[in-house]
Amino acid sequence: MANIRLSNISKRFGNTDVLDGIDLDINDKEFVTLVGPSGCGKSTLLRIIAGLESADTGTVSINDTDVTGIRPANRNLSMVFQSYALYPHLSVAQNMLTPLKLRDLSFLQRLPMIGPLLAKTEYQTLYQQVKKTAQILKIENLLERKPGQLSGGQRQRAALGRAMVRDPLAFLMDEPLSNLDAALRVHMRSELTQLHQRLKTTFVYVTHDQSEALTMSDKMAVMMKGKILQYGPPDEIYHNPQTTDVARFVGSPAINIIPGSTDETGCVSLLGRSLGIYISSPRTSIQIGLRPEHLSLSEDSSNSFPGIIRHIENLGSDLFYHLEVEGMRQRIVVRTSQSEGRRLPLGSLTCFTAEKDKHLVFDENGNRLTTKSQKLAEVA
Amino acid sequence: MSQSRAYLWLIAPALFLMLLILIIPIFAALGLSFTNYSLGNPQANFVGLQNYEQIFTRTTYQKMFGATIRYVFVVVPITVGLGLGAALLIKSLTRFGDLYKTIYFLPVMAALIAMAIVWEFAFHPTIGIINSTLEQGCGTVLENWSWYANGCERTFPLWLTDRNYAIWTVSFIGIWQGFGFNMVLYLAGLTSIPKELYSAAEMDGAKSSWERFRLVTWPMLGPTTVFVVTISFIRSFQVFDMVEAFYPQGGGPSKSVYVMMFALYEKGIQQNLMGIGAAITVIFLIFVMLLTIVQRWLVDKRTHYV
Repeated sequence: MANIRLSNISKRFGNTDVLDGIDLDINDKEFVTLVGPSGCGKSTLLRIIAGLESADTGTVSINDTDVTGIRPANRNLSMVFQSYALYPHLSVAQNMLTPLKLRDLSFLQRLPMIGPLLAKTEYQTLYQQVKKTAQILKIENLLERKPGQLSGGQRQRAALGRAMVRDPLAFLMDEPLSNLDAALRVHMRSELTQLHQRLKTTFVYVTHDQSEALTMSDKMAVMMKGKILQYGPPDEIYHNPQTTDVARFVGSPAINIIPGSTDETGCVSLLGRSLGIYISSPRTSIQIGLRPEHLSLSEDSSNSFPGIIRHIENLGSDLFYHLEVEGMRQRIVVRTSQSEGRRLPLGSLTCFTAEKDKHLVFDENGNRLTTKSQKLAEVA
Repeated sequence: MSQSRAYLWLIAPALFLMLLILIIPIFAALGLSFTNYSLGNPQANFVGLQNYEQIFTRTTYQKMFGATIRYVFVVVPITVGLGLGAALLIKSLTRFGDLYKTIYFLPVMAALIAMAIVWEFAFHPTIGIINSTLEQGCGTVLENWSWYANGCERTFPLWLTDRNYAIWTVSFIGIWQGFGFNMVLYLAGLTSIPKELYSAAEMDGAKSSWERFRLVTWPMLGPTTVFVVTISFIRSFQVFDMVEAFYPQGGGPSKSVYVMMFALYEKGIQQNLMGIGAAITVIFLIFVMLLTIVQRWLVDKRTHYV
């Protein structure tokens, strides 16, 4: 129940810029993912939002209140850690009770032995809250166990429970699924999204896994080298990346980036063949991005590009063909459905075509160029 | 040889050595403790529980237990507390941590016999630095304290030779010598606490350092504490060299510093009463055994985390 606004956040560790002038607006009830390769500063940014780390410059505000100098305990956010960080000597119930006790009870009431005697009713209401949260997460039967007696997925739930139990303004999650096995991770993704819909609270989620970001978030911020490269809904990021870095990072297998060229009118050609799309001014060197699913194998060699099959990845539902194309060091990945792919053996020569209007054109520095289907001069 | 017997050959060397250097001597001591054997005597008489009876009835041995228990129950809590305190303080430093570590650990490495001579000087009633420093305070507000006023009026205590002070003075030196060791153990324990737990505690609303200590540090140091306390107990029961250095004539003023190890040495070695010496050894072993059992129990019960 909070919006979070970051402006001009910078952070240096020694001589390295970890974060470089980050601006980010997170709206109320949004599920925002910070995604990027390891070392891009996403966890540091999350810790700055939490207050566990202080930024060198810039401000953090929650609900339009500047909280830059306010300590984490007073920001009323809760965090789920990668290692879960459950207190190993306390049972799951006591773990979940801890944030409630620390916030709602006085020092005397928190004393062991005497505390529960002094504040019987308070303890009962707090315990009811724990039970309610445990019911939502389906961990009621684990409440009396110690974290050491739980499996990874159960610990994950207990950590979520500890974060949820006190109705924080927002949830911060630092790669919470990365310690789980693959099947459980996929399952927890949908549980977390459902939890987000149910709680109607702001979620800030850090991950290095682009598929988590794509599947779970309302908006994702792709970070690299301490900067946010692009911020927007997953669809927008996937279909309309603004730089080659974003295009390469999002999507699996990675996008094909193929060098292209233009003629003097700005008409783009790919591997020597004109595509019939134009950029505003002719450039010597451009790059063209094509996602594997926008390519298809074809028998017809007249309007397609030849390539030799060097590697086949079988994913069950799909086949990925890695093609060697003459004049290119990098291999082209083509996605096909199982039925059409079966026939082609390794090492055979085939052709591939690209779907029209799916070309993403970037300049030599990797920035996106707008394309038109007609020559720009004619339009004007 | 059948497969099922192979394990015997594998454990045999260890078992043999354990029998030879641990089990047999312990049973030998137990056997000796029922006799009046002296070294050099061709034979010894079986005297039954007479040695134990002496130990539990004679005032000398009552003083022995008194001195040992005083020493142990003063030194153990204070060395553990100071060790933990010093470790926490050093851990919180950003600079000079290594310097303090070295300073506090120095007494552990130093030979206590040599240190005892220095302390003997320091505690000397007239030329010692302790009492001459105390005399500087005479005539100031400190004299409102009646103990201090008495000291100024007559003399300050003869720390090492007054029977009301000797055991506490020796305990003080024991603490000075011992807490550095506990500090090192606690420092090792502190480094193994995951940092994320402190972050989690902060997010959960633990605002004061005391709350973080109660919630994270102290429970996570549980296994270390059990070990430190046990080691401190055993080391304190074994105190000997300092007493021998200060009071070679036997246990300090009216035997107030007559600790167990010294009694053992005096009876068994100096006076060649092997029977009594062996009986003291057996009692000492029982103490250590009890402590170890308590430690095992605590480790299994309370501090079994993962």
